[in-house]
Amino acid sequence: MEQILANGIYLGSQYAMIALGLTLIFALMNVLNFAHGQMYVLGGFVTYTFYGQMGFPFVVGLLMSCVTLFVLGALIEKFLFGPVIKRSSREESTMLLAAGLAFFLDAVILLVFGEKQRGVPKIVDGVFNWDFRLIMPYDRILICVLAIISIVGFILFMQYTKTGRALRALAQDRTAAQLMGVNVDRYSMIGFALGAMLAGLVGGLLVTITGINLGMGGPTSIKAFMMVMIGGAGVISGAIAGGIILGFLEAIGLAVLYQYGDITYLLIFVSLMIFLAFRPQGLMGKPWG
Amino acid sequence: MLKLSLTQWIGAGVFFAAVFVVAPVTIAVLGRTDLFYTLTSVGLLAIASAGVWLTFYIGRINIGQGAFALLGAYVSAILVTKAGMSFWISLPIAGLFAAFVAVLIGLPILRLKGVYFAMITLVLTQVFTLTALALPITNGAKGITSIPLPGELSVLGLTLIPDFATLDNPRQAFYYTTAVLMVLTFAAMYRLVNSRLGHLCRSMQQNEELASSIGVNIAYIRIVIYAIASFFGGVGGAMFGSIAQSVYPSSFQVADSVNFMLNCFLGGLGYVFGPMLGTFVLYFGWDLLFEFGKYQMLIYSSVLIFLILVLPNGLLSLRLSKKRGQDK
Amino acid sequence: MSALLEINHVTKKFGGLTANNDITFSVHENEILSVIGPNGAGKSTLFKMISSFLPTTNGEVLFKGERISNLRPHIVARKGIVRTFQETTIFKSMTVRESIIVAQHLRAKASLAGYFWGTKTAHEDVESFGHYADDLIEFLGMSEIAGEQASNLPQGNLRALGIAIGLATDPKVLLLDEPFAGMNHDETMSMVDLVRKVRDEREVTVLLVEHDMSAVMKISDRIVVLNFGEMIAEGTPLEIQNDERVIEAYLGSADDEIGI
Repeated sequence: MEQILANGIYLGSQYAMIALGLTLIFALMNVLNFAHGQMYVLGGFVTYTFYGQMGFPFVVGLLMSCVTLFVLGALIEKFLFGPVIKRSSREESTMLLAAGLAFFLDAVILLVFGEKQRGVPKIVDGVFNWDFRLIMPYDRILICVLAIISIVGFILFMQYTKTGRALRALAQDRTAAQLMGVNVDRYSMIGFALGAMLAGLVGGLLVTITGINLGMGGPTSIKAFMMVMIGGAGVISGAIAGGIILGFLEAIGLAVLYQYGDITYLLIFVSLMIFLAFRPQGLMGKPWG
Repeated sequence: MLKLSLTQWIGAGVFFAAVFVVAPVTIAVLGRTDLFYTLTSVGLLAIASAGVWLTFYIGRINIGQGAFALLGAYVSAILVTKAGMSFWISLPIAGLFAAFVAVLIGLPILRLKGVYFAMITLVLTQVFTLTALALPITNGAKGITSIPLPGELSVLGLTLIPDFATLDNPRQAFYYTTAVLMVLTFAAMYRLVNSRLGHLCRSMQQNEELASSIGVNIAYIRIVIYAIASFFGGVGGAMFGSIAQSVYPSSFQVADSVNFMLNCFLGGLGYVFGPMLGTFVLYFGWDLLFEFGKYQMLIYSSVLIFLILVLPNGLLSLRLSKKRGQDK
Repeated sequence: MSALLEINHVTKKFGGLTANNDITFSVHENEILSVIGPNGAGKSTLFKMISSFLPTTNGEVLFKGERISNLRPHIVARKGIVRTFQETTIFKSMTVRESIIVAQHLRAKASLAGYFWGTKTAHEDVESFGHYADDLIEFLGMSEIAGEQASNLPQGNLRALGIAIGLATDPKVLLLDEPFAGMNHDETMSMVDLVRKVRDEREVTVLLVEHDMSAVMKISDRIVVLNFGEMIAEGTPLEIQNDERVIEAYLGSADDEIGI
């Protein structure tokens, strides 16, 4: 029981961070970022390069992941999504662009980092063992704590800084934010960059545990979509709730149904569909349409 | 019955000639029988993409067509290998079964709109892949292999289609079968879009509330369209399974669903024949870039992004942009 | 005069908030009845319940004695009660004529499959849709813009297009959602004429919700006044103008324009 709980928190905190980035981009620009998983993978590879290969401290690797993805996100918004959104507000244009971008990032990652699974040295050794009731390696605990700190940091940032407030205003009502004097172009760029950065940060954190490979992008995006649907798209609390719920479902499912293999995900998918039939806007999303 | 203008007749004629005469003759002259396989793939993918296009016509972005293609492939494969059914009977059954499942799934999910529908259909593809892995009847990751080639189809002793296994070149036979199916699919689509059902779809695409206020049963039409769309997916998938003579859970994955969507978008969402053109261009584009080796994906995706930036309404908008406004 | 549409003790609650409380009145055949009230009085909630776009919490709406509340909107439309929307709700990329043809869905005799296969009934339908559309376009004086795409039309025409789409269904009752909102005096007057003409020549009963008092006073046979979700008065324009509770309600909300 304790073990499942701990695994749930561990998974949930990672997931919540991934979902946060996706939902932030969605809330700000109504863009479903298919490339989110690829951004996560890229973040993982950057940390791998700096920490695993070049021998810099882990923190430097993480920092580089954040910086790389932040810059990349900003460029993508400025030169791709920004112009497309200006020209047409149709959802399919941006969706198509995001899909193309996912392929593009996959190609870049393939060229630069190859298709091999990569891992890095453990950041801390040892395993926490509480009477065999709860076993968890120290590095997982550390990553989990870092993830939670990042989430709290992100919430505080959104709540109390000028940029955060502007972003929230923008997410709530684009036109109103513009009338209030928010520089929409600038904050769209910052928001997209932040969303990408969050994906990169999780990638950098998780590379220490699961390693990283090219094929992880797509499945990560799908999980992120599920979390966002559970919690409600475009809502920060929803993303966190969705992440934690999915984390726990997975932890419970894997513990209870481990002998059936992939049946856990199947059950999660099916329950998600039933859930959405009754509550299409997710747990915390606003009703629409 | 069909009122077509002269240009439309000429267009249809050129198209038929290209599909049934020019392409086979060219292949024969060049001796590149492998191109039959390529063109067959294009045709089948275009059929499945047609379904995605149709769902877009009621204002839903469908990234779940891979699920129904996979379903169709398995249904046909299971019927042929386990029940000993003729492929030609299993083909429509595969389509109908896909349509039936689409009705069940569509009832809850078609209430979702925009990105929500897009996300759930994407998830759906994953669900089907996992289901195929988990069920005993689909044989898990090992898949269903050595599916026999389509047998003879005869009505009252008259052979309509010969046994594919007896042919020198089954690929050519598959090509013609696919060509006929594709022509039927797009003729049906054209007819549907230009009939009252198509007009109602357009009204729903533009405004569901208003459509329901004028008495359109929007829930019913959504289901009907989604079922037709999935029928196309099921038929396309079943044919694919038969050509490959095998089906695996990975035969149609999320990436395939995304590609079906890209085919439609690239061809142009405002044009019935968009998915056909889009599939053709993307498939051949990908093949042509093969020479670039490891840069294939990079160039492909860059060109794709570039096209989205310069031609937001698809390739067919180049020629037709003045005729129809596509602003939503 | 018989009651065509009866609103019986209709109540709507959103959580703890009561948007409409126990509203009862009826609409007679071939009359123009307006529901008015200051902002937030619950007009549009009531409107949505009558057209079944929202379920009622309590009470029911009857049409010729038959319940029409809490059904799906298209079923209510089939019974002949059709609503219009404010101007942004149109078929943007259809022309005026196309919109009117699509909107004749309820007049279709052939099945959807019939249209696909091109049966004789379907052909007759298509022809009859065309004639009906041309008639309606002429009736509404929209001949000049019949071929225009809706997204290119100015605001004033969009409102008329909305009414045209509603009329194309050949309704018995037309529910108009703020038909005069945002119009200047001249536009309002021509809209008043149009609605009158629709009632007189097409024998359509009209129920409208509206904010603009002067137009309502000119157009209505009877008026129902809502305030804070309660019905506070019912009567002819003259009676309403002299009703103390109505005057109070309107004076009480300073941010509202008074058109009396």
